[in-house]
Amino acid sequence: MRVSMKWLRELVPVDLAPAELADRLDMTGTAVEAIETVGQEIEGVVIGRIVSKERHPNAEKLWLTKVDVGGGETLQIVCGAQNFKVGDKVPVATVGTTLPNGVTIKKAKLRGVESVGMNCSAIELGVGSEASGLLILPDEAPVGASFAEWRGMSDTVLDLEITPNRPDCLSMAGIAREVAAITGATAGKPSSTPEEGGAPASDEVTVTVDDPSLCPRYTARLIRGVKVGPSPDWLVQRVLASGSRPVSNIVDITNYVMFELGQPLHAFDAGRLAREGGKIAIGVRLAGEGEHLVTLDGKDRQLAADTLVITDSSGAVALAGVMGGEDTEVSAETVDVLLESACFDPASVSRTSRRLGLFSEASSRFEKGVDPNGCAAASDRAAALIAKIAGGEVAPGVVDEYPAPRSPLALTLRVARANSVLGTDLGPHEMSDILGRLGLGVADAGGEALAVEVPTFRPDLEREIDLIEEVVRVHGMENVTPTLPAGPGRAGGLTREQRLRERIGEALRAAGLEDTMSYSFADPADFGRLGWELPEGEVPVELLNPMSEEQALLRWTLAPGLLRAVSHNQRRGVDDVHLYEMGAVFVTAPGRKQPKERTHVGGALAGRWHRPTWDDEPPQLDFFDGKGVFGALAESLGIERWKLRAAEMPWLQPGRSAEVLVGGDVVGWLGEVAAPVLDAYEARGPIVLFELQTEPLLRSAAGVRVFEELPRFPAVELDIALVVDEDVTAERVEQAIRSAGGKLLEGARLFDVYRGQGVAAGRKSLAFALTYRSPERTLTDEDVAAVHEKLVRKVTAAVGGELRG
Amino acid sequence: MRQMRMTDELRSLGRSGVAEAEAADDLATLDAVRVAYLGKKGSLTAVLRGLGSLPSEERPEVGRVANEVRAELESAIDARRAELAAKALEERVAAEAVDVTLPGRRRPAGHVHLIDQVVREIVDIFVGLGYRVASGPEVELDWYNFTALNTPPDHPARSLQDTFYVKDLSGDRAAVAGESDVVLRTHTSPVQVRVMESAKPPIYIVAPGRCYRRDIPDPSHTPQFNQIEGLVVDEGITFGDLKGTLEHFVREMFGADRRTRIRPHFFGFTEPSAEVDVSCGICGGHGCRFCKGTGWLEILGCGMVDPNVFGYAGVDAERYTGFAFGMGAERIAALRHDIPDLRVFLESDVRFLRQF
Repeated sequence: MRVSMKWLRELVPVDLAPAELADRLDMTGTAVEAIETVGQEIEGVVIGRIVSKERHPNAEKLWLTKVDVGGGETLQIVCGAQNFKVGDKVPVATVGTTLPNGVTIKKAKLRGVESVGMNCSAIELGVGSEASGLLILPDEAPVGASFAEWRGMSDTVLDLEITPNRPDCLSMAGIAREVAAITGATAGKPSSTPEEGGAPASDEVTVTVDDPSLCPRYTARLIRGVKVGPSPDWLVQRVLASGSRPVSNIVDITNYVMFELGQPLHAFDAGRLAREGGKIAIGVRLAGEGEHLVTLDGKDRQLAADTLVITDSSGAVALAGVMGGEDTEVSAETVDVLLESACFDPASVSRTSRRLGLFSEASSRFEKGVDPNGCAAASDRAAALIAKIAGGEVAPGVVDEYPAPRSPLALTLRVARANSVLGTDLGPHEMSDILGRLGLGVADAGGEALAVEVPTFRPDLEREIDLIEEVVRVHGMENVTPTLPAGPGRAGGLTREQRLRERIGEALRAAGLEDTMSYSFADPADFGRLGWELPEGEVPVELLNPMSEEQALLRWTLAPGLLRAVSHNQRRGVDDVHLYEMGAVFVTAPGRKQPKERTHVGGALAGRWHRPTWDDEPPQLDFFDGKGVFGALAESLGIERWKLRAAEMPWLQPGRSAEVLVGGDVVGWLGEVAAPVLDAYEARGPIVLFELQTEPLLRSAAGVRVFEELPRFPAVELDIALVVDEDVTAERVEQAIRSAGGKLLEGARLFDVYRGQGVAAGRKSLAFALTYRSPERTLTDEDVAAVHEKLVRKVTAAVGGELRG
Repeated sequence: MRQMRMTDELRSLGRSGVAEAEAADDLATLDAVRVAYLGKKGSLTAVLRGLGSLPSEERPEVGRVANEVRAELESAIDARRAELAAKALEERVAAEAVDVTLPGRRRPAGHVHLIDQVVREIVDIFVGLGYRVASGPEVELDWYNFTALNTPPDHPARSLQDTFYVKDLSGDRAAVAGESDVVLRTHTSPVQVRVMESAKPPIYIVAPGRCYRRDIPDPSHTPQFNQIEGLVVDEGITFGDLKGTLEHFVREMFGADRRTRIRPHFFGFTEPSAEVDVSCGICGGHGCRFCKGTGWLEILGCGMVDPNVFGYAGVDAERYTGFAFGMGAERIAALRHDIPDLRVFLESDVRFLRQF
């Protein structure tokens, strides 16, 4: 909503500078988005007097003028207009001026003759619609003066953001009332009573509304014998200041009254509305099947069954509240005007304007709700202005279809309740005063409960709480004392599960992975790229209105996001990429409304831990770095029972992929990405990828740990190298060692895996460092030898191995 | 006479031993000196061993001198040994010196994503005020996302243009958007309703989480973003409590030197509603391009819980009052760290992730 300060000051006395007023408006709920100074655009345009007018020597239609622009200066200007004579005063754009249409005036040669400046028309200056000739100024216009200043065009415009609950502020009168309420001034209310004459309007016009819930009120007025033409200056200025373009006096008046009072109006050419029995039968109804209408903008619009239309006896003539029809539009030939001032259902207008993509000043006001009790006053105001400006006679009476007049609402405001909600200590008189300034009626102003009458222009005030809001808004939120809630019986903090969840991230970051977040959307093609199949009975979650086909699903796995992230980095020359993401994944199933949402944590490792340094060349990251990361994560959660089990997944390289088991249950997977998948995501391998469900991890996390006695006696270390078949896993050998070691075996650490000379093909050597210790005494060599010998015997038998020589 | 000769001999032996010890260049040479004089077969040892054959009246004097000489020699050897040890240490230290400007060895740890950092900081501030952390589903029912938050049925935010809808497989056919009443939540506010349904006041919670809106990605919009919701429901909660709480929050989050202001605004699910601004950190509140000349930056929306919302959630609106607030983590991060383009948050660019 654009508010001209000049216009506003006519409606309410404002002592504040625009910036101060803007600040008050900001602090009372009407945000000021910009403060503009208008009229600056035509700085450099001065008032000139035509001193001489001669034919251009080289062009038949051009004139060579000499123009006195004051200060003893006379400019030679070539001019194409025909409507002027010597002695006329005209606006002159001097060299360097940029006009509102963007043209910058330069010294030029036109058909060989020098021209210094430009004599201007109304349209070039943005002050009218007249384009056919120069704007001839009255004789009293002072030569040499600034045109904008002389015309009083300099103005400050506040661009206000009106919240959807305040339709009453979409008008100058409403803003004036609001300004009065917040500054303590008194606002006037513009109104006019037209002089009426001739046959009553009801002789010529009838109005029928099919469904009053879609059109609570429809008024029609008739003005006979108007002369359509350009608007006077003041009207043009007002329309421009409001952000509209001047069209013609009739249309400009309807717009002016809309900006002034907030009531959208529509003027029909009454001569082009169909008559039956001499009468125009205006109807308001829903469009029929297949109905269409050519609107003002020349477009043929197909109407839907829930489009509300205005009709005459021949069919639709306007889209109610959205746009008029081309056929019945006011034109230069219009003689009689039928003026519509109505109230339409906000939702209906909103649907129609959205469907057709038509948004106008009128539709936006109807969408937010106009006051049905304001229709007649706006109609009167516009009719009077039409008679005054465009001539014509206003037919007596308003044809008014208003079956269920809306009455003011009676509300009670409990003073104590208001103070207890706000934390204030305002008296009943202070509250009454605030409400009264807003135009609300207050009875029993000194009592504990105020009886408040809410006028219909404030449809947002329906309940006591709405009044409480008005009180604090105008009282000033800045004047409320800040406090902290004092309520007992609360204790803050994170739950154990929330804290454990944090620990997952902490462990992964400590292991060197960066926390990242990617889109929750997935591409249906990700199934093919990964070779992924959801378990029986599960289906992906489909969006009904995705932004693009690549984001048509919700992700069911974190893998594609991580692969894209690695690829994104690699393409930017960053090769060492270690990332993890913790976030929701989604699947659903037939019969389900809401999908299943699970939190997963996934990670990707590519490149090395860091670039080689002066004395450290870290190896290329592979499967075992991923496994190490998981180990660190498990340790931080206190999960002791976990292992990896070789398993194949289509997106992982066979032989380098595994399921992750915690406490015997599969909780995720880990492995190196398969070559075709790398290609599909344009990433370079090897990339280690893993994904885990957080829920089972958190469930398996250890509770409170109990202290274990520290060893008091020294340990004995012995190494053992076993040669076994390739298919014997390290895990199997280690288990055999542990079960054979008895109580004295404290630990077994695999420190070497060897293939090659000295070991037969198809076999490998696994070397373990074994630690023996007794909690009760220092072990002797003999003690250990006995146990160790037994261990070697049992283990070699169990795994089909032999001691390496 | 013989006594004289004997003691002279001892002293001379001592002098040459001391000289040799002092001349020793390394520990091995020094040790050889020690063995030559004081070892089992050493020359001084031999003299001392010969004491027994001296006449008894000479013995004390010769013995005294011999001990004196031995002590002198031992102390000379010890002194020299200490000298040599110090020298050896010095040489080793010199040899082991490094260029301390060479880079250290480390495995860099990962970083918390900037958005998560901001979320944690906010959560911490409210946990400090006695709040707990709540959460809700990202795929939400229209009821929780809109209806129970007092959003009118025809509100534009519910349109397919603005809100993501997901296919409803339950077989229900909802009125909203024709085919589904299941949405990607457009804010974290539905958590308010879920919490009020499942818990009795007093309620003091914050709820961070991902939200979605159908905005085409540009420098100031991403279709996915993070909000932090707050909700307090208790007896006697006032608008002053809301104001005091958020002023505390802004001070903690942005620093004590930043000013705040609270302005009336409109939200469907709070009444009275307000927005909170923090004074611009670039210009200090005088107005600059960053704050569009206003001196203020809007950081959150808030208000007293609307009685209608209490009604939907089954809370007695006469007995309890409450307040709610919501803020965007991306916006706060961008304001605080001067980030010109929000899309960087979702790109997983390691160079960005390591900056914070």
